[in-house]
Order: sequence, then structure tokens, then C-alpha cells
Amino acid sequence: MRAAVRAELLKLFTTRLWWGMAIAVFVAGAGFALLFGILLTSDTLAEQAGPGGIPTGDSVQIANSVYTGGLSVGYLLMLTIGVMQIGMEYRHKTITSTFLAIPRRARAMVGKVVALLVVAAGYGLLSLVGSVSVGAIVLRLRGAEAFPSTEIVRTLALSLLVLGLWALIGLGLGILIPNQVAALLIGIGTAWIVEPLLGLAIKATDVGREHIAPYLPTEATNAIINAVQSSPDDVRLSWWAAAFALGGWAALLAVPGIWRTVRQDVS
Amino acid sequence: MTTGARVEIAGLTKRFGAFVAVDDLTFTVEPGRITGFLGPNGAGKTTTLRMLLGLIHPTSGTATIDGAAYAALASPLRVVGAALEATDFHPGRSGRDHLRVLAATHDVPDSRVDELLQLTGIPAFARRRAGAYSMGMRQRLALAAALLGDPQVLILDEPANGLDPEGIRWLRGFLRYLSAEQGKTILVSSHLLQEVEQTVDDVVIIANGKLVKQGTMAQMQGGGGTLVRTSDVDRLAAALGERGIDTVPDDHGGLLAQTDDLRAVGEVAYAAGLPVWELTSKAADLEAFFLDVTAGGNRNLGGTPGGRVTGQEGAA
Repeated sequence: MRAAVRAELLKLFTTRLWWGMAIAVFVAGAGFALLFGILLTSDTLAEQAGPGGIPTGDSVQIANSVYTGGLSVGYLLMLTIGVMQIGMEYRHKTITSTFLAIPRRARAMVGKVVALLVVAAGYGLLSLVGSVSVGAIVLRLRGAEAFPSTEIVRTLALSLLVLGLWALIGLGLGILIPNQVAALLIGIGTAWIVEPLLGLAIKATDVGREHIAPYLPTEATNAIINAVQSSPDDVRLSWWAAAFALGGWAALLAVPGIWRTVRQDVS
Repeated sequence: MTTGARVEIAGLTKRFGAFVAVDDLTFTVEPGRITGFLGPNGAGKTTTLRMLLGLIHPTSGTATIDGAAYAALASPLRVVGAALEATDFHPGRSGRDHLRVLAATHDVPDSRVDELLQLTGIPAFARRRAGAYSMGMRQRLALAAALLGDPQVLILDEPANGLDPEGIRWLRGFLRYLSAEQGKTILVSSHLLQEVEQTVDDVVIIANGKLVKQGTMAQMQGGGGTLVRTSDVDRLAAALGERGIDTVPDDHGGLLAQTDDLRAVGEVAYAAGLPVWELTSKAADLEAFFLDVTAGGNRNLGGTPGGRVTGQEGAA
């Protein structure tokens, strides 16, 4: 198992994908921290907090949002990594050598899962280095509290989990939609466009707003890291319930995907 | 010195829907020998090899290496090395890194990777991205990957594809070396008989997923004799007869001597003062046999003159 994980990590670090991702993740972390740090501490916002769909939150939520601002881009990048980890194997037929080296396919796939979690955590840390350093400076300069609560630490740790789970969602998507480009378009399109629109439609009803919308992947992601809320009416899960919800999405996609890979003929 | 292992294919069958890719195939690959796995394109060679390697699940039958299924091997790369497709590389990863990834699964040190790059003759290109590799370099890299764990059994799918004549000669020598010096069991598939006939000890020929013939190369070639053409067929026949070499006239005014000793025939003709217009070993003409046994057998072309396959199964 250790060997399988090591091989998977080596696969990632022997193509150019990884450092492109590293730059993107770092820049997104730092950039969004700067942007949110300025926006969320602006006077107008603080005064008219609440109505009109303007993001609201206390100092903890603001700090959380600033430090995890890059996450909305970060988790899509992890989704991309997840899709490409398996997608490239199909596309370039390297899946053959993968399963020749580790014919117990479940083991090979668990190796992929563990490697994805490790990689996501690594990218997450990189993103946090960017966002916390830039974010803390901006918050201080704007007169806001940089570290209002120890809850911030929990948020930062959970943001790593979020990235890992999104990578697994990508892995599942990458298997279930073997065409890599299609998988990426569908995955990112769903996360960025379809799900928010769907969320709006669902929130139109009370049942939907209270019992369905909070469980959607993006909503759950926001709940885990306790970011500022776009609307005070939104129902939010507690961070651990949201983590289970997102974990459920990851399992829903990754488990059937892995099951299929284990059984499928490789030709 | 590694000792080879026996590969056994027994009653192996694979159906894709109505299409029978491999049909009740049974044969053995003997340890320490090079076996040619021959058949026209689409005969089911690759499907058979993939079933042997646990990549495709057989509909029925078994394929084992020393009695064990591939998937049951704890360290498969140390038992079986396979080179299946020439395109199995990520274009953005260097050849050396491709090997390192495989090596990581079996705790094979990087020094072994470099050793193999040297052995297969591609050290200079090893650090370049594989997307720029020629077909020949891909084949060599695939061979290096197969040898990574110093396995007892080598399974090579069309390894000569894309090699230039120099490369084919190199491959021939390399396989001979692995077999003779290291006692490895080698199964090498090809749709071209000429590519392997000088290399292999045994031959397994399949067509339409079925076994057509299995035997040693000597058996396949046996009884071929020597074709000789000269000005006076009768006089040469008599002269050869005196040396104890039987002859029969062939249809085109030549003489078929029942020997594989070209030199003896030439010398007899010279001693008899007869000009030799042609001297050909019929033994080398396994090609005709190969074409013959596989004739009409290419179901992928749709036509089934032999009537052995019905319907448009090639569409699968």
C-alpha cells in the first residue's frame, strides 16, 4: 500500500501539471485573501450588513472568508487534479502499466485515493501560506482582527479536508466520465454554474431551503469553513454535519467509480 | 541466473457480446524457450495476452504462470514482465520517470532503472519527455519496463512494430540473450512471421481466436527440403542420388532435394559441372504455411471466404 501511494505521488510529480497547479493554488490563496480582505472590511459593507444579498458575518467569519477565499478556486483545482489523475491514465493508456504493477486493483485505487488526499493537503497548505500571510497583513492594515478566535485554526485545518474531498469527487467523476475533457467541463460547470442555479431554485421553497440546499456540495463547503453568508436567511449545517455531507458526495462519486474500475476490462 | 516459468493457457474464451474474440484456446509456453505467438491482426492475440495478465476477465478458462493467476502474484513485476502497447506512456513524463513510477511499486532502486535504460540502448533519451519518442524508442522503453523486476517470464506484444531493420536485429539478439543467457521464458506475439521466425524456438499460431497450430520451429520447418534449379535436372538428380540425397522434380522445372543442407547440394552440382541457377531452402518458407493456415481468417476485413465465421462479428 505504501508503495502504491508512493508510485501515485511520483506520477503526479513527474509531469508538469503539479507546479502549474502549485502556482495557481498559491496565487488564488493570496489573491483572494487580498480581495476579500479589502472588500469585507470596507466601511459601507460593515454598516449596511445584512440586506440586499451583501455578504455578512462577524469578525470570525470575515477572517475565515479572507483566509479561505482562494478555496472556491482551490477546490475546483483539486477537482481538476482528481479528474486528471485517473483521466490521464485512461487517455494515455498508462492504466495498463498501473494495473500490471498492482494487479489487485482495489489496492491500486486506494493508493490513488490516499495520494489525492496527501496532495490536496499539500496544495491546501501552500494555499494557506499565501492566504494567511497576505490576509493577515490586509486585515491588520484595515484595522480588523487578524486572528479573532482559535476557531480560525479549525477552519484552516478543515479547508484542507475540503480540498481532499473535492479531489475525490474529481476522481469519481474522472472514472464515471472517461473522457477527461468532458469530465472536467461537466465537473466544473456543475460546481460553478449548475449547482448555484439549482440552489436558487431549491431555496424558493421552505423545504428546499432548509432540508436540501444546505447539503449541496458548494453550500456544504461554505458551511465547513464557516465563511460569510451571502444571505442571512440561508440555513447552514454545522461544520461537522457539512463535512459529512461533502464526504457523502465524495463517496457517492468515488466509490462507484472505483468499483467500476476494479471490475472493468482494461483493453 | 533466473529460471523460467511455464505459462499455461487452458480453455481460454472471451466473448464481447456475440463476438468471440478468443475461442477455447489451449496452449503452453515452455520455460526457458522463446515462443512466437502468431496470427493475423485481430486474431485475438492481444486479448489472450491481456487475459493472461489479468487485465481482461476471461468468459471462461484459465491462464496461469507457474500455476498462479497473474492477479494472485504478490510482486508481479518480479515474475512476469509485459510490454503490451507501444503507446503506453504519458507524453509529458520522461521515459526514465515512467520506469521510476513502476519501480516505486516494487521497491526497485533507481540504479536498476538506469541499468535498464543502458541495456535497452536509450539512456540518451531517457530524461526527455516521452511525447517526443519515436516508435522504436517507445518499444525499447516498453522492453525496459518489462525487465524492471528481472522477471522469469517476458510477454511482448508485437515488440518489433515500428522498429527499423537495425532495431529488429537488435531485438532479435536481445531476446536470444535473455533466453539463452538468463533462461527466461519469452512469449512474443507478432502478425508477421518473418519478424520472429529467426528468433523463436516454438510457435503457436491462432486465427479467429482459435488455435491453428502449435509446435517447435523445427517441426514447422521440417521436411521443407532444398529447391535447386539447373540446366540438366535429370543429371543433377542422379548426382544427388549418388550422395544419398533423394529428389523430386517440382512443377516449375526445378528440383526439390530432401535435405536442408544447401552446401551439399551446391557442391554436388559443382562436382557434376552443372550451373546452379537457384538454390533456396524451402525450410525458410514457413511464410507460405503461415499465410495458408491463416488464409481467409481475417474476420476484421468482414469477408469470410472460409465460412468459418458467420455474420459481421468483426464489427465488435
